[in-house]
Amino acid sequence: MGESVSARAAPDGTAPIARNPDAPGVRLRKRAIVKIGLLVLLAIFLPPFFDDRYLTTIFISVVFFGILGAIYDLMVGYAGLNNFGFAGVLAIGAYSSALCQLNFGTSAWSGLLIGGGVAGAIGLLTGLITLRLRGLYLGLMTFFVGETIRLTISNLPQYTRGTLGLTVAPFENILGLDFSRGANPLNYYYLLVVLGAAIMLFMNWLVRSKAGLVWRALKEDETAARTLRLRATRWKLLNFTIASSLTGVMGSFYAHYLGVLSPLPSEFGVGRTVEVLTVAYVGGRGTLWGSFFAAALLIGIQEYFRGLGAWRLVLFGVLLILVMIFVPKGLARFKRLLQ
Amino acid sequence: MDWSMLADPDILMVLTLQGLVRGAMYALMGIGLSLIFGILGVVNFAHGELFMLGSYVMYLVVSILGMPFYFGIAAAAIVVFGCGVLIERGLIEQLRRRAGRDWISDSFVLTIGLAVVLQNLAHLIFSSRQYGVAELVEGSVPFGDMEISVERLAILGFACLAVLLLWTFMKFTRIGKAIRAAAQNAEAAETLGIDVRNLFTVTFGLGAALAGVAGALLISIYPASPTVGAEPLLKSFAVVVLGGLGNVSGAIAAGLLLGVLEAFTIFVASDGWQNVLTAYLVILVLLLRPAGLFVMQGKRA
Repeated sequence: MGESVSARAAPDGTAPIARNPDAPGVRLRKRAIVKIGLLVLLAIFLPPFFDDRYLTTIFISVVFFGILGAIYDLMVGYAGLNNFGFAGVLAIGAYSSALCQLNFGTSAWSGLLIGGGVAGAIGLLTGLITLRLRGLYLGLMTFFVGETIRLTISNLPQYTRGTLGLTVAPFENILGLDFSRGANPLNYYYLLVVLGAAIMLFMNWLVRSKAGLVWRALKEDETAARTLRLRATRWKLLNFTIASSLTGVMGSFYAHYLGVLSPLPSEFGVGRTVEVLTVAYVGGRGTLWGSFFAAALLIGIQEYFRGLGAWRLVLFGVLLILVMIFVPKGLARFKRLLQ
Repeated sequence: MDWSMLADPDILMVLTLQGLVRGAMYALMGIGLSLIFGILGVVNFAHGELFMLGSYVMYLVVSILGMPFYFGIAAAAIVVFGCGVLIERGLIEQLRRRAGRDWISDSFVLTIGLAVVLQNLAHLIFSSRQYGVAELVEGSVPFGDMEISVERLAILGFACLAVLLLWTFMKFTRIGKAIRAAAQNAEAAETLGIDVRNLFTVTFGLGAALAGVAGALLISIYPASPTVGAEPLLKSFAVVVLGGLGNVSGAIAAGLLLGVLEAFTIFVASDGWQNVLTAYLVILVLLLRPAGLFVMQGKRA
């Protein structure tokens, strides 16, 4: 299946989305499986090897941002849709799960589904009103939808406690695993890895399915795709809704992991969107897995230079600028140099 | 909330004036953003940081060097113009040259990176402290039970002056005419011998300078700090959408309209809700009239 996808999506072999057009598909897949396997083994065994609270929380943020970056990539890298209101969708997932737990006593576990469902519905709605617009209008519209969500949360303190912060209960203990606040964060890490693996496998399948093909066709040339009688808006809507729903699941995880929600710009506003977007762009658009390398690199830089204060954010911005100008394909471009 | 207060002409007058002052800033920011979009096609996410630069320059000139405030405004215009030129030549042109067809959405992301850099550089240099100037002009004008400060009126006056200067520049100078020509059709302008590359740079500088002037003018209301640009940025996006992307006169009208609307919202509801109202309004306009409020449907500005 792998080779037929790249062959059909890029008849002239120049499209940037073709994974590795010169390598034979079978060998590539074998190699990919080995690499992903190594990555998964690393993800499973590295954190307990250190078993250090601080390091574990860093591993958690690497995986968390890696997943978010990959979800963003599903939109921008495969369908060419930029959601500048991404953090707003994350907020919807987080708050819907937290508020249901608080008001209706639902468990945090069902909260993952609630977060995903509500965020998916909001994503569908946002998509319905925005996806008719193209390019910059879409970017601006999603930007304002995101801000609207955040500001609405912020201005309804009677329900959400606004900027005072909403306290959220952790995941309930399950299968003998302790998820309470004082417990070892490794349990949260493994929960995240399981969640991430499910999401990544799903998205990996998705971009190789018919839907993935259609999205790439739309991204390359929407007019041409429309002349082939592809219903552009519907396919984009599918992409947008799926991505929003997955984001909502992650938002719900975030709420119960973190314990306190506040609609600040750095949490659920432009700041957060910029972080995720940087991870996706630096990782390389249209690569999905590249996000994890970018997240590891960026969060590694951030933690290593913690003493530098604001300098690390300057570094972040400079990196984003350099990537945009000189390496628009992101880290994934260097992958081939290593092979 | 006592709605009958809105029937009081003095209150109406003061609210409208306050709204116009607010709106003048939105308009200045919006015009700059719109100008840049209209000519270069770039949505400048770092526009709020140019506002911030202007306010720091104002503080340095007025409070540290002790010069009169109009020097500060002029200095802000010149310095931020220079920054705009550097940004266009150093970054945006590089991107345009290297990236292909999709460079427009890439440029959005590029300016996001730039905004992060500028904001945190300001943080490093000036820390997160707020640097304000107490009052540029003293005194106030009474309206019945309420009053409005002379300073606010002065801000409104200077904003009008800046717009008037820009209008004169665009209408009567060679460069201004060339910019308007390029806005209509950049390729045709190039064929007629206009150096579009330099034009892009000048336009970006001009748009930046307007943001700088806005930052300088409003220093007593928005003291200089690294994050001061966030709200003006949000509002200038709103203005540009309401007025129509790339439509400069639409930005002026939309800016003033939005300012007055917000002044009334703050009075009727409470502080904070004006931002919600603006965001909903923008979404509504994008849905129903994506070309902007003031454009005949189907006609491009």
